Amino acid sequence: MIEDDLRAAFARHEPLTPPTGPVRAAIARLVAVRRRRRRRLGAGGAALALLALLGVGIPQFTPDRVAGDATLLVEPGRRAPAGALNVLLLGVDSRGDEMPPLADSVLLVHIPADRSRPYLVSLSRDLEVAIPGYGRDKLNAAAAYGARADGGLDLARGYELIRRTVTDLTGVRVDAGAVITFPVLRQLTDLLSGVEVCLPQRVRSSHTDRVFPAGCQRLDGRASLDLLRQRRDLPDGGVDRDRNAQRFAAGLIRRAGEQGVLHDPVRFSRILAELDPELTVATTGGSVLDLVQVVPELASVEPVGLSLPAVVSRTGDRWVLRPDPAAAPAFLAALREDRLAQWAGQHPERVTRLH
Amino acid sequence: MTYEEFADSRLAALLRYAVMLTGDPHQAQDLVQDTMVRVQLNWRRVARADSPERYVRRMLTNQYVDWRRGSWMRRVLLRAESDDAVPAPADHAQHAVDRDQVWSWLARLPRRQRATLVLRYYEDLPDAEIADILGCAVGTVRSSISRALATLRAEYVEA
Repeated sequence: MIEDDLRAAFARHEPLTPPTGPVRAAIARLVAVRRRRRRRLGAGGAALALLALLGVGIPQFTPDRVAGDATLLVEPGRRAPAGALNVLLLGVDSRGDEMPPLADSVLLVHIPADRSRPYLVSLSRDLEVAIPGYGRDKLNAAAAYGARADGGLDLARGYELIRRTVTDLTGVRVDAGAVITFPVLRQLTDLLSGVEVCLPQRVRSSHTDRVFPAGCQRLDGRASLDLLRQRRDLPDGGVDRDRNAQRFAAGLIRRAGEQGVLHDPVRFSRILAELDPELTVATTGGSVLDLVQVVPELASVEPVGLSLPAVVSRTGDRWVLRPDPAAAPAFLAALREDRLAQWAGQHPERVTRLH
Repeated sequence: MTYEEFADSRLAALLRYAVMLTGDPHQAQDLVQDTMVRVQLNWRRVARADSPERYVRRMLTNQYVDWRRGSWMRRVLLRAESDDAVPAPADHAQHAVDRDQVWSWLARLPRRQRATLVLRYYEDLPDAEIADILGCAVGTVRSSISRALATLRAEYVEA
C-alpha cells in the first residue's frame, strides 16, 4: 500500500520536471566557461605557483636538487594549507655591497580562504611605523636596520625585521615571504622574455629618459627595473610606484602563465638554476610545496590591487605618511578577517587598475 | 554515441529523476546541469563505460547524496527565482493534501534512502542495478529500502 502511494506520489510530481531546452543551453554555456577557465588556470595557476616559488622556494632549490624538486611540484596528494594566506614580498634595491638595502616595495599577497583570487596589498615604503626595537621610522628603514644588525649585511635579517614590523602594523600572520632584489627581478623578467605592463598614463624615466607610453607594453628586464624605480615624476610619487609594482606583478603572473612554465619541468628547473640565489626566504610553518598546492584552488589568478590607505600629516616640522586614521582601521580589519572582496566592493576608488 | 546524442535522448529522463530526488524543479535543474557539465567535459571517459546512462546516473546520484553547503546547494539557495514558470502538481481532489504528505515525508528521509526509493519505485530498477548506481551491496539496498519504508509507515500511523 505504501509502495503504491509512493509510485503515485512520484507520478503526480512528474509535471514539476523543467523543460530540457533551457537546461541544455545552460549546460553548453557552463561548459564553455569551464573550458576557458581550465585553459586560463592551467597557465595562470602555474604562473602564480612560480611566483610563490620564487618567493619562497629558491634557497631550497640548490642546483643539485633542482630537478627532483621541480618534478615534485606536479605530484598530487599533498595537502594544501587551509584558510587565508599572506605572503610578504619585498622588492629591494641592494645598492652595492656596502650600503644597507632599503625595501623599495612592500607587497603583501593575500590569498583568501575561499581561494577566489589573489589580493596584492601595497604598504607604502614611506609609511611611518613602529619598528620593533628601533622606535618610529619609515617602513623601508626596517630592512636596513635588520640587515646591518650584526655588522655585516644580511637580507634575511632585514626581511625578518620587516616581517615583524608588518605583522605589528597589520595584525595578520605572515605565512611566507621573500626578498626580491633588482638583479633577480631583471633576470626573471628576461627569462620570461619580457613582461607586459599596462600603464594608465605615460611615465618618463628620470634615470634614463626612457618614455613608457600609456597603455600596455612588453618590457624586458632592464626596462622593467627602470619603470619600477620611477617615483619622482609620477603624480602620486611613491604611491604610483607601488601601483606600478602591482601592475608589473600582475603582468608577471600572466606572462609566466602564458608560457606554461610550471608545467614544463625542464624549463622550470632551467629557470631556477639560472636565477641567482639572491632571494631570501622565511616561511612560518608549512613548506613551499604545501603553499604551491593552493594555486590550483584559485578560481582566478587575476589579482586585485589594493593598498593600505595612508595620509600625509605633519609632526612638528616634518611631514610624514601615516595610515589613514579614517580608512586604515576598516581596511586592516577586512584584511585580518578575510573580507577584502567586500571591502574592495565598497571602495572601488581604492582599487588599482591593473590593466 | 556522442555527447549530443546522449543529451538528446537522456536529458529529459535525468531531469525527471532529479526532480524525484530533490523534490524541487530548481534544485533538479542545478543538479542535472552540474552533472552534465562534468559529463560533457569528460565525455570520452563516460562513453567508454558499459552503460553511459547508468554511469551518468551514478554521477548524478553521488552528487545528490554528497552535496554539501557550498557546492550546488548554495547556488540553489541563493537563487531568487519565482516558481511561476513551473506548473503546480495537477491535483484537484481535496485528498491532495493527504496524498502529498507522502511527498513531504520523503523530504525528511536521509538522501541515500530517498535515492533508493526513487530508483526502486520510480525508475523500477532491479536491486542489483540500484546497488551498482549507489556503489553498495545488494543487501544494503534492501535494508535501506525497508528502513525507509518503515519510516514512512510510522508517519502514516502518526498522521
